[in-house]
Amino acid sequence: MDCEEARDRFSSLWEKELIPSEENKVREHLSSCPGCQEEWGRFEKTMQWLHSAGEVEIPNGFLPELYKKMGERKSKATPTEKAKGGWVSLPQSLKLPVQAVAMVAIVFLVLYLTKMMPIERGRLRESKPISSPLFAEKKSEQVFAQKEVEKERRAVEFHPNTRRSEDVEQAKTPVPGKKKLEEAYGPQMKAEAPSSKTEVGTNPPIDSRAVARLKVPSPEPKEIEKGLTAKDKLVAASKPPREIVLRISNQERMISLVHELVREFGGEIVTSEGNMVLASLPTNSFSEFENELAGLSASIGTDKEDVKGSLRGEPSEKREEADVKSQGSPRTATDQEKHTVVRILLIQE
Amino acid sequence: MKTPPGIQRETIENCKAGDEKAFEEVVLHYQKKVFNITYRMLGNLEEAKDLAQEVFISVFESIKDLKEEAKFDAWLKKITLNHCRNRWKYLKRRKYFNSDSLDDPVETEDGAMTKVISDPSDNPETLYEKKVIQQLVQRGLLNLKEDQRELIVLRDLQGFSYEEMGELLGLPEGTIKSKLHRARMDLKGILERSAH
Repeated sequence: MDCEEARDRFSSLWEKELIPSEENKVREHLSSCPGCQEEWGRFEKTMQWLHSAGEVEIPNGFLPELYKKMGERKSKATPTEKAKGGWVSLPQSLKLPVQAVAMVAIVFLVLYLTKMMPIERGRLRESKPISSPLFAEKKSEQVFAQKEVEKERRAVEFHPNTRRSEDVEQAKTPVPGKKKLEEAYGPQMKAEAPSSKTEVGTNPPIDSRAVARLKVPSPEPKEIEKGLTAKDKLVAASKPPREIVLRISNQERMISLVHELVREFGGEIVTSEGNMVLASLPTNSFSEFENELAGLSASIGTDKEDVKGSLRGEPSEKREEADVKSQGSPRTATDQEKHTVVRILLIQE
Repeated sequence: MKTPPGIQRETIENCKAGDEKAFEEVVLHYQKKVFNITYRMLGNLEEAKDLAQEVFISVFESIKDLKEEAKFDAWLKKITLNHCRNRWKYLKRRKYFNSDSLDDPVETEDGAMTKVISDPSDNPETLYEKKVIQQLVQRGLLNLKEDQRELIVLRDLQGFSYEEMGELLGLPEGTIKSKLHRARMDLKGILERSAH
């Protein structure tokens, strides 16, 4: 046995853990090696010192101090636990399942948000065009009408002198327009459109039409209204009158001729003032009336201008039909179909 | 650190149930052992006392999680060792052991605090010699590596069996023996240097 092997066994020799044969070998080496013997002596001394160290007495007041510390901890921890709802104090066996359930719930929520929501949105998108084309149309009409009214208002505000005061009043607020509509449609409209707010949502075609009517420039709206009967008013309100300009040499004669011609064609004179004749004619004979009127003029300087009819006649007629349907009055519908209002302007040459 | 004979399984059960009297009984039974480990590991009486109290507070707070009452002893040793390691790291970070505040039990005026259990037949010269040896050993221990100090404290100062040490440190018995031998040899060298 060499020195290193002998020194590696010092602990085992001290604790008497070596088997007798091995212990003998170590002791033989120690007796023959002064260096290892000296080392062994020091090792023994160290171990003796360690074992002589003994135990240290517990300091006085250990337990009261411990209780004091625990009391301090408790008073500090209590508000925190209260604030946390006692979660910290719950045993781990309860906390873990709750946490697991919470995690699963979060995962499902995330999955729902990421996967389900697009489907829901898609459904909404699909359902929109099916359920709300009318609403969209109404809405666009409302928006258009509002814009038109707004435009007029601005125009009036910027160029107050170019418009008559009545027109300005008409254009400034939609309420007068509504009043006129009410006059034209009578109590029927009042019943259908009780308030302006509901009108927007429930019956927008009336509103838009009223705005459209407001928009059409009419040279003498007051005069027209004066002469119109209730029926004609309805027609006039819903359909802008056609306009024919005749250049003539003898105005009085021409007026009487026009009167006769209107009666001939089964129509009636709504009003006749100065150089303007407003007449209501059956629609089916209107073209013939127009031709006849052209032939009547001696000067034949007839310069027909179908201003509103050509520009707005067709869409307005369509709207009329829709409106008539919405109003549900068969008499008014037939009247509208059968009569055409024409304004004849006689210009002296 | 074997369970003192007075401690019953029932006491541990009562302590688990939050019985403060049972807890007090546990403290009284284990306080000296716990304090001696903390003192030998830290070498400072105040730190050792504070740490031993922390150990018992931890016991009180977490004993309800102890599944087997029979393993209370091993559980307490583990808590004590973990507290010692944490406190050692904490003090080392603050360079506590490099300063002069290192408590010297021999030089402390308050004898009650550092009184070493000694043979009553010892004469004053022997008693003084023992105190000097204590001082040397404690300083030697503090100059060892942490794991070496643990091994010597547990085996040579606290009388743990190799089996207990293996369970506590999670090391095989052979490894513990060889490491312990290396630690003892290193301590021998430290003591030789400090003696000269």
